[in-house]
Amino acid sequence: MSAASPETARLWEKNAFPRHRIQWCPGCGDFGVLAALKTALVRIGVSPHEVLLVGGIGCSGQTRNYLNGNGFHGTHGGPLGYALGAKMAVPDLTVIALAGDGDTLAIGMESFIHVCRRDPAMTLIMMNNGVYGLTRGQDSPTTGLGQIMEEHTEEHPPFVDPARLAITAGATFVAQSFSGDPKHCAEIYAQAFRHPGFAMVNDFSPCVTYNKFNTSGWYREHSEHIPDGHDASDKAAAWALLDDFDRRGKLPLGVIYRAPRHKKAHARLPVWEEELAGIDPEPMFSVFR
Amino acid sequence: MVVNNLKLLVGGVQLRDAVTTVTDILGKLFMRAGLHVLAMERGYASTIYGAHQFDPLVVSASAPLSYGDDRTDILVALEHDANPDSSIQPNRDTILRHGKNLKEGGVLIYDNSAETVETGELQARGIKVFPLPARRIAQRELKLEVTKNTIVTGALLRLLEFDMDYVLFGAYLEGRFLSKGRGVVDINLEAARRGRAAVEEILSGNGWESVGYRLEPQPSAEPNLLLTGNEAVAMGSILAGCRFYSGYPITPATSILEFLDVHMPRYGGRVLQGQNERESMRAAIGASIAGVRSAVGSSGPGISLKIEELGLAGATETPLVIIDTQRAGPATGMPTKSEQGDLAMAIYAGHGEIPRIVLSAGTIEECYSLAFEAFDLADKYQCPVFLLSDLTLTDGRQNLPQSFFTENQKPIVRHGLVRASDVRGDGYHRFEMTESGISPRSIVGTPDAIFKVSGTEHDETGLITTDPSKRKAIFEKRMRKMQTYLKEDAKPPQVFGSPDGVPLLIGWGSTKMPLLDAQARLRAEGIDTCLIYFTHIWPFPVHLVQPLLRQGSMLIVVEQNYAGQLADVIQQECLVETRRVLKYNGRPFYTADIAGGVRQVLAGGTRVVRVGEEAPDAAIETVPEGD
Ligand SMILES: Cc1ncc(C[n+]2csc(CCOP(=O)(O)OP(=O)(O)O)c2C)c(N)n1
Ligand code: SF4
Repeated sequence: MSAASPETARLWEKNAFPRHRIQWCPGCGDFGVLAALKTALVRIGVSPHEVLLVGGIGCSGQTRNYLNGNGFHGTHGGPLGYALGAKMAVPDLTVIALAGDGDTLAIGMESFIHVCRRDPAMTLIMMNNGVYGLTRGQDSPTTGLGQIMEEHTEEHPPFVDPARLAITAGATFVAQSFSGDPKHCAEIYAQAFRHPGFAMVNDFSPCVTYNKFNTSGWYREHSEHIPDGHDASDKAAAWALLDDFDRRGKLPLGVIYRAPRHKKAHARLPVWEEELAGIDPEPMFSVFR
Repeated sequence: MVVNNLKLLVGGVQLRDAVTTVTDILGKLFMRAGLHVLAMERGYASTIYGAHQFDPLVVSASAPLSYGDDRTDILVALEHDANPDSSIQPNRDTILRHGKNLKEGGVLIYDNSAETVETGELQARGIKVFPLPARRIAQRELKLEVTKNTIVTGALLRLLEFDMDYVLFGAYLEGRFLSKGRGVVDINLEAARRGRAAVEEILSGNGWESVGYRLEPQPSAEPNLLLTGNEAVAMGSILAGCRFYSGYPITPATSILEFLDVHMPRYGGRVLQGQNERESMRAAIGASIAGVRSAVGSSGPGISLKIEELGLAGATETPLVIIDTQRAGPATGMPTKSEQGDLAMAIYAGHGEIPRIVLSAGTIEECYSLAFEAFDLADKYQCPVFLLSDLTLTDGRQNLPQSFFTENQKPIVRHGLVRASDVRGDGYHRFEMTESGISPRSIVGTPDAIFKVSGTEHDETGLITTDPSKRKAIFEKRMRKMQTYLKEDAKPPQVFGSPDGVPLLIGWGSTKMPLLDAQARLRAEGIDTCLIYFTHIWPFPVHLVQPLLRQGSMLIVVEQNYAGQLADVIQQECLVETRRVLKYNGRPFYTADIAGGVRQVLAGGTRVVRVGEEAPDAAIETVPEGD
């Protein structure tokens, strides 16, 4: 990873597959994520071939198709699993999972919690629109953010707060961003990509078609940048920021929590014939004699 | 006097009595003396503590065809007090369960520390009985209870007149315990001597010169390895270039995970204990995308959970080896009992259709050698490859000459991987249309060969499409690989005997050895058969199988499941009728089951014989198992 250069900018600008038509609704928040992603990738100075973008199943998961870089698109709920395996195989690969809130917190919840615990050096950008977009507007685990619920019913439990969950589960980088502010998003993404552990970015990315409550306007009104001076390494301070939403109704945007991380370095796993040749079976044989 | 030919069975209380410590030690000693060792039915329970456990060991001068029948020459009962499961049958569980299978003239040795068992009936059948207070000696005289099994080992060595000067046994103890100090070795040698003394006392007390069985060392030119089917698969996988393995603990696949966890890092690989079955599968897919030869292992319930990802691996043309160590199903079934019930799942499971290859091992040798093929085929055809085994194999142990492993260690060839130097400009398309159906595969990090891969239907660039003609083309490209496989790599079944005009016995999986044994037994009775045995099951090589099947007089498929899953495949693919001999009570096929079932088919024209109920001389379970 080097610094931004005109050359990497050119590579990222060049769409690998210019024939691909973007299939989001006009005004979808995910456009902002796409723009911010490109900026952040250029900023950290990686080339497209050094990046693996793992998409989820959902509108959000399409992001990986609209820009250069290796892309893998698996099953609903699966992105963090594939990302983990690829990262274990090639430790210096920049691995970014791009998934929806349904993908991550409903069907993919099992992966989410455990990847937070494992803390591999990769990023999840969770494009949180508070609904299932692709399947046309059903409730997701984050549905109901900021809404006053008279009483919770079995059909409508309270929303999941991914930031709280990630901190609890052991993620070492937890941030929030709003895709209507791509400049700020790019800043947060770049920090996430550079983080040497698991970085979770809860990106509020409005669904203009199905979420008539959490609109861009609503997010603008109900969010604010985390004030300078917030000590992200202080877990209690991170928690206080999140609690603040309950008191004042303002979602904190920025890096909420960040723990120092020291990971043991791993070598890339052997792939080529010459790396796999000349294996000595003796250490295994000796066990069986 | 029977020399170098016996079946010994050690039984006791699971976890507490350390049953396999005794068989592990004996197995290694016998192997080091050049004898052949086969332990193919490890009886254990899915509870941890307290259930009955048993481990039969066949020892012979030449490699045994199979574990034969439920007949035992020497029975060793390690319990020394009441079975914690049963207040009514103190100290008799092993004897009650397995005493009925003791051969006339056989031997019973049991721990009588708590009380002496009434064995008059056994003695009336000519069985020599050796009560041995092993635990009492260990506790009171040696002051170290764990030596009780060494006392039993010493007793057995004396009974078998084997390694009486402890040359092999001493070396074994030193190899295992010297790092803990000479004292540990010495106390074990002393324990063995106590066992021997106790046996000598009983021998002379009864005026017996010997017990009628003896083992004599046979000098062997080369070292042998004693290992389980799972160990063979795991070792084969490493040598075949697998460098990423993930699994979620499940019986009987866990020991693959455990072995690889220890050995994989030495070869630069990594092992992941996934947080669940799907994470394991996904991580292995991720590693494979990165270019690493990767595998997952599980058993029925876990494979079921992986099926969504199986479809994905097929659709994304991701190479992946899936080791299915079958156990008795459905649902949680009988986790510690064997069955061949997953064939239909391996062949058909998943929504939609994908290319896939199904290989099946029938012996510990094949667990090893098919591992090379599985990784090679996955790589070449860029699709999931099942490697099936079953609990009888996974946990069974056998010695094999070391040269078998070195001779079958195949060189690793990476197929179709694109190197940076192969790519020019932006022309790389991951799913390029080819005649073989196989597209050049780039791995992450290759400049100019950036890939887009999606399980959602895509065109040759990897980008999503529902265009009818593109969908048709990419589907056909994917499936075309299977035609290429049938032409280039499919193998015919193994054939034992001449198929001309005789009944064909057909099998797959761990029934191979008992099938060969049964074939020999039937031949001795004047019934000639030919054994057709499958390792490469799917895609089904009709062109290689049909000519063979036409030669036989009738087809009798022998399988350890209820329906006859291979029989169904054969009927469907070759449009021929099959008869079936089936067993699914959890115990492995014994030679007598097969011979009896085949006789019944031949005599009455019976179409389906369900062994364990109808077969006249089948080994029928009468004592219900507590697990
Ligand atoms: C196993 C499985 N179940 C259900 C679906 C259908 N499905 C596709 S996308 C989706 C939810 C999308 O919501 P989200 O992850 O929040 O992404 P968004 O479209 O809102 O960006 C569902 C349920 C599926 N593809 N696979
Ligand atoms: S449905 Fe919603 S999330 Fe999907 S593209 Fe349209 S606006 Fe975006």
